[in-house]
Amino acid sequence: MSDLYREHILDHYANPRNWGRLEQPDIIADADDPSCGDQVHIEIGLDGERRVARVAFEGEGCMVSMASASMFSEYLKGKSLEELRQLTEDDVLALLDAPIGPGRRRCALSPLIALRAGLAAYQ
Amino acid sequence: MLDSEAIRTDFPILCRLVHDQPLVFLDSAASSQKPVAVLEAMEAAYRDCYANVHRGVYSLSEEATARYEAARDKVASFIHATSREEVVFTRNTTEAINLVAYTWGRAHLGRGDRILLTEMEHHSNIVPWQLLAQETGAGLVYLPVTDDGLLQMERLDDLLDGVKLVAFTMMSNVLGTITPARQIVEKAQAAGAVVLVDGAQGVPHLPVDVQELGCDFLAFSAHKMCGPTGIGVLYGRRELLEAMPPFLGGGDMIRRVELYRSTWNDLPWKFEAGTPAIVEGIGLGAAVDYLQGLGMDAVAAHEREMVAYAMERLGALEGLRIVGPPADRRGGVISFTFRGIHPHDLAHLLDLEGVAVRAGHHCAQPLHKRLGLSATARASFYIYNTAGDADRLAEALEKAAAVMGRVR
Repeated sequence: MSDLYREHILDHYANPRNWGRLEQPDIIADADDPSCGDQVHIEIGLDGERRVARVAFEGEGCMVSMASASMFSEYLKGKSLEELRQLTEDDVLALLDAPIGPGRRRCALSPLIALRAGLAAYQ
Repeated sequence: MLDSEAIRTDFPILCRLVHDQPLVFLDSAASSQKPVAVLEAMEAAYRDCYANVHRGVYSLSEEATARYEAARDKVASFIHATSREEVVFTRNTTEAINLVAYTWGRAHLGRGDRILLTEMEHHSNIVPWQLLAQETGAGLVYLPVTDDGLLQMERLDDLLDGVKLVAFTMMSNVLGTITPARQIVEKAQAAGAVVLVDGAQGVPHLPVDVQELGCDFLAFSAHKMCGPTGIGVLYGRRELLEAMPPFLGGGDMIRRVELYRSTWNDLPWKFEAGTPAIVEGIGLGAAVDYLQGLGMDAVAAHEREMVAYAMERLGALEGLRIVGPPADRRGGVISFTFRGIHPHDLAHLLDLEGVAVRAGHHCAQPLHKRLGLSATARASFYIYNTAGDADRLAEALEKAAAVMGRVR
Protein backbone atom coordinates (compact mmCIF):
# COMPACT_ATOMS: atom_id res chain seq x y z
CA MET A 1 0.00 0.00 0.00
CA SER A 2 2.74 2.42 0.92
CA ASP A 3 6.48 2.28 1.06
CA LEU A 4 6.28 3.93 4.44
CA TYR A 5 3.91 1.38 5.90
CA ARG A 6 6.26 -1.50 5.14
CA GLU A 7 6.69 -4.60 7.18
CA HIS A 8 9.81 -3.58 9.07
CA ILE A 9 8.23 -0.34 10.23
CA LEU A 10 4.94 -2.00 11.11
CA ASP A 11 6.93 -4.63 12.98
CA HIS A 12 8.83 -2.11 15.09
CA TYR A 13 5.55 -0.34 15.82
CA ALA A 14 3.80 -3.54 16.88
CA ASN A 15 6.81 -4.97 18.72
CA PRO A 16 8.86 -2.07 20.01
CA ARG A 17 12.40 -3.08 20.99
CA ASN A 18 13.82 -2.00 24.35
CA TRP A 19 10.41 -0.94 25.63
CA GLY A 20 10.31 0.09 29.27
CA ARG A 21 12.48 1.86 31.81
CA LEU A 22 15.98 1.35 33.26
CA GLU A 23 16.92 0.87 36.92
CA GLN A 24 19.46 3.67 37.07
CA PRO A 25 19.68 5.60 33.84
CA ASP A 26 22.53 8.02 33.23
CA ILE A 27 20.78 9.98 30.53
CA ILE A 28 17.08 10.72 30.45
CA ALA A 29 15.76 12.13 27.20
CA ASP A 30 12.28 13.47 26.51
CA ALA A 31 10.53 15.00 23.56
CA ASP A 32 6.93 15.91 23.16
CA ASP A 33 5.15 17.51 20.26
CA PRO A 34 2.03 19.34 21.36
CA SER A 35 0.93 19.59 17.74
CA CYS A 36 0.07 15.89 17.63
CA GLY A 37 0.49 14.67 21.20
CA ASP A 38 3.52 12.51 20.35
CA GLN A 39 5.77 11.76 23.33
CA VAL A 40 9.07 9.92 23.42
CA HIS A 41 10.97 9.08 26.62
CA ILE A 42 14.41 7.46 26.27
CA GLU A 43 16.65 6.23 29.09
CA ILE A 44 20.31 5.40 28.56
CA GLY A 45 22.77 3.62 30.84
CA LEU A 46 26.52 4.04 30.20
CA ASP A 47 29.30 1.53 30.88
CA GLY A 48 32.70 2.21 32.46
CA GLU A 49 34.01 3.60 29.19
CA ARG A 50 31.02 5.86 28.93
CA ARG A 51 29.55 3.96 26.05
CA VAL A 52 25.85 3.11 25.73
CA ALA A 53 25.32 -0.20 27.52
CA ARG A 54 21.58 -0.16 28.10
CA VAL A 55 18.70 1.64 26.40
CA ALA A 56 15.00 1.70 27.14
CA PHE A 57 12.22 3.81 25.75
CA GLU A 58 8.54 4.44 26.18
CA GLY A 59 6.25 6.70 24.28
CA GLU A 60 2.97 7.42 22.69
CA GLY A 61 2.46 8.53 19.15
CA CYS A 62 2.06 7.70 15.52
CA MET A 63 3.60 4.70 13.86
CA VAL A 64 6.45 6.67 12.37
CA SER A 65 7.57 8.19 15.66
CA MET A 66 7.26 4.93 17.61
CA ALA A 67 8.95 2.77 14.97
CA SER A 68 11.71 5.36 14.66
CA ALA A 69 12.25 5.38 18.43
CA SER A 70 12.38 1.58 18.51
CA MET A 71 14.99 1.41 15.73
CA PHE A 72 16.89 4.28 17.31
CA SER A 73 17.05 2.46 20.64
CA GLU A 74 18.80 -0.47 18.98
CA TYR A 75 21.10 1.79 17.02
CA LEU A 76 22.38 3.63 20.11
CA LYS A 77 23.92 0.59 21.79
CA GLY A 78 27.70 0.64 21.95
CA LYS A 79 28.01 4.26 20.89
CA SER A 80 30.25 6.66 22.79
CA LEU A 81 28.99 9.92 24.17
CA GLU A 82 30.81 11.73 21.42
CA GLU A 83 29.17 9.54 18.80
CA LEU A 84 25.77 10.25 20.33
CA ARG A 85 26.44 13.96 20.10
CA GLN A 86 27.32 13.67 16.44
CA LEU A 87 24.19 11.81 15.34
CA THR A 88 22.45 13.61 12.51
CA GLU A 89 18.93 13.74 11.19
CA ASP A 90 20.07 11.79 8.15
CA ASP A 91 21.30 8.99 10.43
CA VAL A 92 17.80 8.62 11.87
CA LEU A 93 16.07 8.80 8.50
CA ALA A 94 18.47 6.16 7.16
CA LEU A 95 17.40 3.79 9.96
CA LEU A 96 13.81 3.98 8.83
CA ASP A 97 14.83 3.24 5.24
CA ALA A 98 11.52 4.52 3.91
CA PRO A 99 10.39 7.69 2.17
CA ILE A 100 9.64 10.33 4.81
CA GLY A 101 7.79 13.34 3.43
CA PRO A 102 8.05 16.79 4.97
CA GLY A 103 4.78 16.25 6.85
CA ARG A 104 6.20 13.23 8.73
CA ARG A 105 9.77 14.39 9.22
CA ARG A 106 9.16 15.65 12.73
CA CYS A 107 7.56 12.33 13.71
CA ALA A 108 10.58 10.41 12.46
CA LEU A 109 13.05 12.72 14.17
CA SER A 110 11.35 12.79 17.57
CA PRO A 111 13.79 10.30 19.21
CA LEU A 112 16.77 12.39 18.02
CA ILE A 113 15.10 15.55 19.32
CA ALA A 114 14.69 13.76 22.66
CA LEU A 115 18.28 12.53 22.71
CA ARG A 116 19.67 16.00 22.01
CA ALA A 117 17.62 17.42 24.88
CA GLY A 118 18.84 14.59 27.13
CA LEU A 119 22.48 15.12 26.17
CA ALA A 120 22.18 18.84 26.80
CA ALA A 121 20.92 18.11 30.30
CA TYR A 122 23.66 15.50 30.92
CA GLN A 123 27.00 17.16 31.30
CA MET B 1 -30.35 22.23 -3.66
CA LEU B 2 -26.83 22.56 -4.95
CA ASP B 3 -25.76 20.59 -7.96
CA SER B 4 -22.37 19.56 -6.65
CA GLU B 5 -21.43 17.66 -9.78
CA ALA B 6 -21.86 20.86 -11.78
CA ILE B 7 -20.07 22.91 -9.13
CA ARG B 8 -17.10 20.54 -9.28
CA THR B 9 -16.45 21.56 -12.88
CA ASP B 10 -15.84 25.12 -11.63
CA PHE B 11 -12.87 23.91 -9.56
CA PRO B 12 -10.01 22.79 -11.83
CA ILE B 13 -7.97 21.29 -8.99
CA LEU B 14 -10.65 18.68 -8.33
CA CYS B 15 -9.71 17.01 -11.63
CA ARG B 16 -6.23 16.13 -10.50
CA LEU B 17 -4.99 12.80 -9.29
CA VAL B 18 -3.25 12.14 -5.99
CA HIS B 19 -1.32 8.88 -5.79
CA ASP B 20 -3.01 7.89 -9.06
CA GLN B 21 -6.47 8.31 -7.56
CA PRO B 22 -9.00 11.07 -8.18
CA LEU B 23 -8.63 13.65 -5.43
CA VAL B 24 -11.22 13.70 -2.65
CA PHE B 25 -10.64 17.02 -0.92
CA LEU B 26 -11.98 17.04 2.64
CA ASP B 27 -10.00 19.87 4.20
CA SER B 28 -12.00 22.95 3.28
CA ALA B 29 -12.31 24.00 6.93
CA ALA B 30 -8.57 24.70 6.76
CA SER B 31 -8.74 26.36 3.35
CA SER B 32 -11.13 25.92 0.46
CA GLN B 33 -10.34 25.37 -3.19
CA LYS B 34 -10.86 28.18 -5.71
CA PRO B 35 -13.32 28.33 -8.60
CA VAL B 36 -12.31 29.45 -12.09
CA ALA B 37 -14.27 32.69 -11.58
CA VAL B 38 -11.91 33.72 -8.78
CA LEU B 39 -8.77 32.64 -10.62
CA GLU B 40 -9.86 34.54 -13.72
CA ALA B 41 -10.80 37.70 -11.83
CA MET B 42 -7.36 37.76 -10.25
CA GLU B 43 -5.53 37.04 -13.46
CA ALA B 44 -7.58 39.69 -15.27
CA ALA B 45 -6.70 42.21 -12.60
CA TYR B 46 -3.00 41.60 -13.17
CA ARG B 47 -3.32 41.46 -16.95
CA ASP B 48 -5.74 44.30 -17.63
CA CYS B 49 -5.60 46.98 -15.00
CA TYR B 50 -2.91 46.39 -12.42
CA ALA B 51 -1.59 49.44 -10.60
CA ASN B 52 -1.50 50.63 -7.02
CA VAL B 53 -4.86 51.76 -5.73
CA HIS B 54 -6.13 55.08 -4.31
CA ARG B 55 -4.86 58.51 -5.31
CA GLY B 56 -3.64 57.38 -8.73
CA VAL B 57 -4.63 59.99 -11.29
CA TYR B 58 -4.31 57.71 -14.26
CA SER B 59 -6.63 55.18 -15.82
CA LEU B 60 -4.99 51.97 -14.64
CA SER B 61 -4.96 53.05 -11.02
CA GLU B 62 -8.54 54.27 -11.23
CA GLU B 63 -9.66 50.97 -12.73
CA ALA B 64 -7.75 48.94 -10.15
CA THR B 65 -9.20 51.06 -7.36
CA ALA B 66 -12.70 50.63 -8.73
CA ARG B 67 -12.39 46.83 -8.83
CA TYR B 68 -10.77 46.67 -5.40
CA GLU B 69 -13.34 48.94 -3.75
CA ALA B 70 -16.17 47.14 -5.55
CA ALA B 71 -15.10 44.05 -3.63
CA ARG B 72 -15.74 45.93 -0.41
CA ASP B 73 -19.28 46.73 -1.56
CA LYS B 74 -19.83 43.08 -2.39
CA VAL B 75 -18.64 41.98 1.05
CA ALA B 76 -20.79 44.63 2.75
CA SER B 77 -23.85 43.40 0.92
CA PHE B 78 -22.93 39.73 1.51
CA ILE B 79 -22.96 40.15 5.30
CA HIS B 80 -25.65 42.88 5.26
CA ALA B 81 -23.45 45.58 6.76
CA THR B 82 -25.14 48.96 7.05
CA SER B 83 -22.39 50.62 5.03
CA ARG B 84 -19.13 49.88 3.22
CA GLU B 85 -17.24 51.92 5.85
CA GLU B 86 -17.87 49.07 8.27
CA VAL B 87 -15.88 46.60 6.15
CA VAL B 88 -12.15 46.72 6.93
CA PHE B 89 -9.83 44.54 4.88
CA THR B 90 -7.22 42.66 6.92
CA ARG B 91 -4.87 39.82 6.13
CA ASN B 92 -7.16 37.14 7.55
CA THR B 93 -9.41 36.33 10.51
CA THR B 94 -6.44 36.20 12.85
CA GLU B 95 -5.33 39.70 11.95
CA ALA B 96 -8.90 40.99 12.25
CA ILE B 97 -9.18 39.62 15.79
CA ASN B 98 -5.74 40.99 16.69
CA LEU B 99 -6.79 44.37 15.33
CA VAL B 100 -9.70 44.52 17.75
CA ALA B 101 -7.61 43.27 20.65
CA TYR B 102 -4.87 45.78 19.92
CA THR B 103 -7.01 48.85 19.36
CA TRP B 104 -10.41 48.48 21.00
CA GLY B 105 -9.02 46.20 23.69
CA ARG B 106 -6.15 48.44 24.76
CA ALA B 107 -8.43 51.47 24.85
CA HIS B 108 -11.24 49.86 26.83
CA LEU B 109 -9.93 47.11 29.07
CA GLY B 110 -8.12 47.41 32.37
CA ARG B 111 -7.32 45.54 35.54
CA GLY B 112 -10.27 43.54 36.82
CA ASP B 113 -12.19 43.63 33.54
CA ARG B 114 -13.12 40.30 32.05
CA ILE B 115 -13.04 38.78 28.59
CA LEU B 116 -15.38 35.84 28.00
CA LEU B 117 -14.37 33.19 25.45
CA THR B 118 -15.58 29.62 24.97
CA GLU B 119 -13.70 26.35 25.36
CA MET B 120 -14.20 25.58 21.67
CA GLU B 121 -12.24 28.53 20.28
CA HIS B 122 -9.51 28.34 17.68
CA HIS B 123 -6.11 29.49 18.96
CA SER B 124 -6.53 32.71 16.99
CA ASN B 125 -9.52 33.61 19.15
CA ILE B 126 -7.64 32.77 22.36
CA VAL B 127 -4.05 33.96 22.06
CA PRO B 128 -4.75 37.62 21.08
CA TRP B 129 -6.91 37.89 24.21
CA GLN B 130 -4.24 36.27 26.37
CA LEU B 131 -1.76 38.87 25.13
CA LEU B 132 -4.27 41.63 25.82
CA ALA B 133 -5.04 40.24 29.28
CA GLN B 134 -1.34 40.09 30.15
CA GLU B 135 -0.87 43.66 29.06
CA THR B 136 -3.95 45.19 30.67
CA GLY B 137 -4.46 43.02 33.73
CA ALA B 138 -7.85 41.90 32.45
CA GLY B 139 -8.95 38.32 33.17
CA LEU B 140 -10.12 35.54 30.86
CA VAL B 141 -13.24 33.49 31.54
CA TYR B 142 -14.40 30.50 29.50
CA LEU B 143 -17.89 29.29 28.72
CA PRO B 144 -17.49 25.51 29.02
CA VAL B 145 -18.53 22.90 26.47
CA THR B 146 -20.53 19.76 27.21
CA ASP B 147 -19.11 16.29 26.61
CA ASP B 148 -20.96 16.16 23.31
CA GLY B 149 -19.50 19.43 22.15
CA LEU B 150 -22.21 22.00 22.77
CA LEU B 151 -21.83 25.24 24.71
CA GLN B 152 -23.14 25.11 28.27
CA MET B 153 -25.56 27.96 27.66
CA GLU B 154 -27.09 27.70 31.13
CA ARG B 155 -23.76 28.93 32.50
CA LEU B 156 -23.70 32.05 30.34
CA ASP B 157 -25.62 34.47 32.55
CA ASP B 158 -23.43 33.85 35.59
CA LEU B 159 -20.21 34.03 33.63
CA LEU B 160 -21.15 37.35 32.03
CA ASP B 161 -20.72 39.14 35.35
CA GLY B 162 -18.06 41.85 34.96
CA VAL B 163 -17.40 40.90 31.32
CA LYS B 164 -16.56 43.74 28.94
CA LEU B 165 -15.87 41.70 25.83
CA VAL B 166 -17.27 38.41 24.56
CA ALA B 167 -15.50 36.67 21.66
CA PHE B 168 -16.77 33.37 20.30
CA THR B 169 -16.98 31.28 17.16
CA MET B 170 -20.10 30.87 15.03
CA MET B 171 -19.01 27.35 14.24
CA SER B 172 -16.34 25.17 15.82
CA ASN B 173 -13.61 24.14 13.40
CA VAL B 174 -13.20 20.86 15.31
CA LEU B 175 -16.66 19.85 16.47
CA GLY B 176 -18.62 21.47 13.68
CA THR B 177 -20.95 22.80 16.36
CA ILE B 178 -22.99 25.77 15.19
CA THR B 179 -23.27 28.03 18.22
CA PRO B 180 -26.46 29.94 19.18
CA ALA B 181 -24.78 33.15 18.09
CA ARG B 182 -27.80 35.43 18.17
CA GLN B 183 -28.68 34.35 21.70
CA ILE B 184 -25.10 34.85 22.95
CA VAL B 185 -24.89 38.29 21.35
CA GLU B 186 -28.19 39.35 22.94
CA LYS B 187 -27.25 38.19 26.41
CA ALA B 188 -23.75 39.61 26.21
CA GLN B 189 -24.93 43.01 25.06
CA ALA B 190 -27.67 43.06 27.70
CA ALA B 191 -24.86 42.54 30.22
CA GLY B 192 -23.04 45.53 28.74
CA ALA B 193 -20.36 43.64 26.82
CA VAL B 194 -19.05 44.26 23.33
CA VAL B 195 -19.23 41.15 21.15
CA LEU B 196 -16.80 39.85 18.54
CA VAL B 197 -17.92 36.88 16.47
CA ASP B 198 -15.26 34.67 14.90
CA GLY B 199 -16.81 33.95 11.51
CA ALA B 200 -13.86 32.06 10.00
CA GLN B 201 -15.99 28.90 9.78
CA GLY B 202 -19.42 30.53 9.87
CA VAL B 203 -19.27 33.04 7.03
CA PRO B 204 -18.13 30.59 4.32
CA HIS B 205 -20.82 28.08 5.19
CA LEU B 206 -23.88 29.84 6.63
CA PRO B 207 -26.01 32.83 5.66
CA VAL B 208 -24.81 35.73 7.83
CA ASP B 209 -26.62 39.00 8.44
CA VAL B 210 -24.70 41.18 10.88
CA GLN B 211 -27.72 43.36 11.54
CA GLU B 212 -29.86 40.40 12.51
CA LEU B 213 -26.96 38.87 14.43
CA GLY B 214 -26.39 42.21 16.16
CA CYS B 215 -22.70 41.63 16.83
CA ASP B 216 -20.25 44.51 17.23
CA PHE B 217 -17.43 42.83 15.31
CA LEU B 218 -17.26 39.95 12.86
CA ALA B 219 -13.98 38.50 11.57
CA PHE B 220 -13.51 36.14 8.62
CA SER B 221 -11.05 35.04 5.93
CA ALA B 222 -11.39 34.95 2.15
CA HIS B 223 -9.41 31.76 1.69
CA LYS B 224 -11.97 29.57 3.44
CA MET B 225 -14.78 30.87 1.20
CA CYS B 226 -13.40 30.22 -2.29
CA GLY B 227 -11.25 33.34 -2.24
CA PRO B 228 -7.48 33.82 -2.13
CA THR B 229 -5.15 33.79 0.86
CA GLY B 230 -3.82 37.07 2.18
CA ILE B 231 -7.11 38.88 2.62
CA GLY B 232 -9.69 38.82 5.36
CA VAL B 233 -12.38 41.03 6.76
CA LEU B 234 -13.13 42.81 9.98
CA TYR B 235 -16.70 44.04 10.10
CA GLY B 236 -17.23 46.55 12.90
CA ARG B 237 -20.13 48.76 13.89
CA ARG B 238 -19.34 52.25 12.68
CA GLU B 239 -19.49 53.98 16.09
CA LEU B 240 -16.99 51.54 17.51
CA LEU B 241 -14.61 51.75 14.55
CA GLU B 242 -14.76 55.53 14.57
CA ALA B 243 -13.86 55.72 18.26
CA MET B 244 -11.02 53.20 17.99
CA PRO B 245 -7.40 54.30 17.64
CA PRO B 246 -5.65 53.10 14.48
CA PHE B 247 -3.92 49.71 14.23
CA LEU B 248 -0.83 49.80 12.00
CA GLY B 249 0.62 53.14 10.97
CA GLY B 250 1.76 53.96 7.46
CA GLY B 251 0.57 55.05 4.06
CA ASP B 252 -3.14 55.04 3.18
CA MET B 253 -4.34 55.17 6.79
CA ILE B 254 -3.47 58.88 7.21
CA ARG B 255 -5.12 62.13 6.23
CA ARG B 256 -2.26 64.50 6.99
CA VAL B 257 1.25 63.73 8.18
CA GLU B 258 3.44 66.30 9.84
CA LEU B 259 6.85 65.72 11.36
CA TYR B 260 5.57 65.17 14.88
CA ARG B 261 1.91 64.27 14.47
CA SER B 262 -0.60 62.90 12.01
CA THR B 263 -4.33 62.66 11.54
CA TRP B 264 -6.18 59.60 10.32
CA ASN B 265 -8.01 58.72 7.17
CA ASP B 266 -11.74 58.01 7.12
CA LEU B 267 -13.20 54.56 7.67
CA PRO B 268 -12.40 51.95 6.57
CA TRP B 269 -8.94 53.04 5.37
CA LYS B 270 -7.98 54.24 8.86
CA PHE B 271 -7.28 50.57 9.60
CA GLU B 272 -5.61 49.71 6.28
CA ALA B 273 -2.01 50.87 6.40
CA GLY B 274 0.27 50.28 3.44
CA THR B 275 -0.44 48.98 -0.03
CA PRO B 276 -3.29 46.53 0.45
CA ALA B 277 -3.73 43.06 -1.04
CA ILE B 278 -5.26 44.58 -4.17
CA VAL B 279 -5.67 41.57 -6.39
CA GLU B 280 -6.60 39.36 -3.46
CA GLY B 281 -9.34 41.85 -2.62
CA ILE B 282 -10.62 41.58 -6.17
CA GLY B 283 -10.47 37.80 -5.82
CA LEU B 284 -12.53 37.99 -2.64
CA GLY B 285 -15.11 40.04 -4.51
CA ALA B 286 -15.32 37.32 -7.15
CA ALA B 287 -15.64 34.66 -4.44
CA VAL B 288 -18.54 36.54 -2.87
CA ASP B 289 -20.23 36.76 -6.28
CA TYR B 290 -19.72 33.04 -6.73
CA LEU B 291 -21.20 32.10 -3.34
CA GLN B 292 -24.10 34.51 -3.76
CA GLY B 293 -24.80 32.93 -7.11
CA LEU B 294 -25.22 29.61 -5.33
CA GLY B 295 -27.14 31.14 -2.43
CA MET B 296 -25.90 30.73 1.12
CA ASP B 297 -29.11 29.00 2.21
CA ALA B 298 -28.43 26.35 -0.42
CA VAL B 299 -24.77 26.12 0.64
CA ALA B 300 -25.76 25.52 4.27
CA ALA B 301 -28.44 22.99 3.27
CA HIS B 302 -25.96 21.08 1.12
CA GLU B 303 -23.47 20.82 3.97
CA ARG B 304 -26.16 19.66 6.40
CA GLU B 305 -27.06 16.93 3.95
CA MET B 306 -23.41 15.97 3.37
CA VAL B 307 -22.58 15.81 7.05
CA ALA B 308 -25.68 13.77 7.88
CA TYR B 309 -24.79 11.25 5.18
CA ALA B 310 -21.10 11.14 6.11
CA MET B 311 -21.84 10.71 9.82
CA GLU B 312 -24.13 7.80 9.04
CA ARG B 313 -21.55 6.24 6.71
CA LEU B 314 -18.61 6.71 9.11
CA GLY B 315 -20.67 5.82 12.15
CA ALA B 316 -21.19 2.37 10.63
CA LEU B 317 -17.45 1.66 10.74
CA GLU B 318 -16.44 -0.41 13.74
CA GLY B 319 -14.23 1.50 16.15
CA LEU B 320 -14.90 4.92 14.67
CA ARG B 321 -15.78 7.62 17.17
CA ILE B 322 -17.06 10.99 16.02
CA VAL B 323 -16.51 13.88 18.42
CA GLY B 324 -19.09 16.62 18.71
CA PRO B 325 -22.84 16.95 18.46
CA PRO B 326 -25.39 15.19 16.23
CA ALA B 327 -25.68 16.18 12.58
CA ASP B 328 -28.53 18.62 13.12
CA ARG B 329 -26.38 20.80 15.38
CA ARG B 330 -23.33 21.08 13.16
CA GLY B 331 -21.91 22.39 9.91
CA GLY B 332 -19.80 20.40 7.48
CA VAL B 333 -17.07 19.29 9.87
CA ILE B 334 -16.50 15.80 11.27
CA SER B 335 -13.56 15.12 13.58
CA PHE B 336 -13.02 11.54 14.60
CA THR B 337 -10.76 8.88 16.01
CA PHE B 338 -10.56 5.40 14.53
CA ARG B 339 -9.49 2.17 16.23
CA GLY B 340 -6.68 3.84 18.17
CA ILE B 341 -4.79 4.59 14.95
CA HIS B 342 -2.84 7.81 15.37
CA PRO B 343 -4.45 10.58 13.29
CA HIS B 344 -1.13 11.22 11.51
CA ASP B 345 -1.05 7.64 10.34
CA LEU B 346 -4.70 7.84 9.34
CA ALA B 347 -4.22 11.02 7.32
CA HIS B 348 -1.15 9.54 5.66
CA LEU B 349 -2.89 6.30 4.74
CA LEU B 350 -5.97 8.17 3.48
CA ASP B 351 -3.73 10.36 1.33
CA LEU B 352 -2.42 7.25 -0.37
CA GLU B 353 -6.02 6.65 -1.46
CA GLY B 354 -6.32 10.22 -2.74
CA VAL B 355 -8.35 11.40 0.26
CA ALA B 356 -7.15 14.65 1.88
CA VAL B 357 -8.09 15.09 5.54
CA ARG B 358 -6.37 17.01 8.33
CA ALA B 359 -4.84 15.43 11.42
CA GLY B 360 -3.78 17.03 14.68
CA HIS B 361 -5.32 19.46 17.11
CA HIS B 362 -6.68 21.81 14.40
CA CYS B 363 -5.40 24.85 16.32
CA ALA B 364 -7.66 24.03 19.24
CA GLN B 365 -5.44 22.47 21.90
CA PRO B 366 -7.58 23.55 24.87
CA LEU B 367 -10.65 21.94 23.29
CA HIS B 368 -8.80 18.69 22.64
CA LYS B 369 -7.59 18.68 26.23
CA ARG B 370 -11.14 19.28 27.44
CA LEU B 371 -12.34 16.31 25.36
CA GLY B 372 -9.45 14.15 26.59
CA LEU B 373 -7.93 13.77 23.12
CA SER B 374 -4.42 14.60 21.95
CA ALA B 375 -5.32 14.70 18.29
CA THR B 376 -8.11 13.85 15.88
CA ALA B 377 -8.55 13.35 12.16
CA ARG B 378 -10.93 15.83 10.55
CA ALA B 379 -12.95 15.61 7.36
CA SER B 380 -14.63 18.85 6.31
CA PHE B 381 -17.13 19.31 3.51
CA TYR B 382 -17.93 22.18 1.19
CA ILE B 383 -20.00 22.99 -1.86
CA TYR B 384 -18.02 20.71 -4.17
CA ASN B 385 -18.17 17.60 -2.01
CA THR B 386 -20.57 14.81 -2.85
CA ALA B 387 -21.91 11.69 -1.16
CA GLY B 388 -19.38 9.84 -3.29
CA ASP B 389 -16.61 11.65 -1.41
CA ALA B 390 -17.97 10.37 1.89
CA ASP B 391 -18.05 6.87 0.40
CA ARG B 392 -14.43 7.17 -0.73
CA LEU B 393 -13.48 8.34 2.78
CA ALA B 394 -15.20 5.36 4.38
CA GLU B 395 -13.55 2.93 1.93
CA ALA B 396 -10.12 4.47 2.51
CA LEU B 397 -10.63 4.18 6.27
CA GLU B 398 -11.37 0.48 5.88
CA LYS B 399 -8.15 0.05 3.91
CA ALA B 400 -6.20 1.96 6.55
CA ALA B 401 -7.66 -0.31 9.19
CA ALA B 402 -6.53 -3.32 7.20
CA VAL B 403 -2.94 -2.01 7.01
CA MET B 404 -2.76 -1.07 10.66
CA GLY B 405 -4.80 -4.08 11.72
CA ARG B 406 -1.84 -6.29 10.86
CA VAL B 407 0.03 -4.87 13.82
CA ARG B 408 -2.74 -5.03 16.39
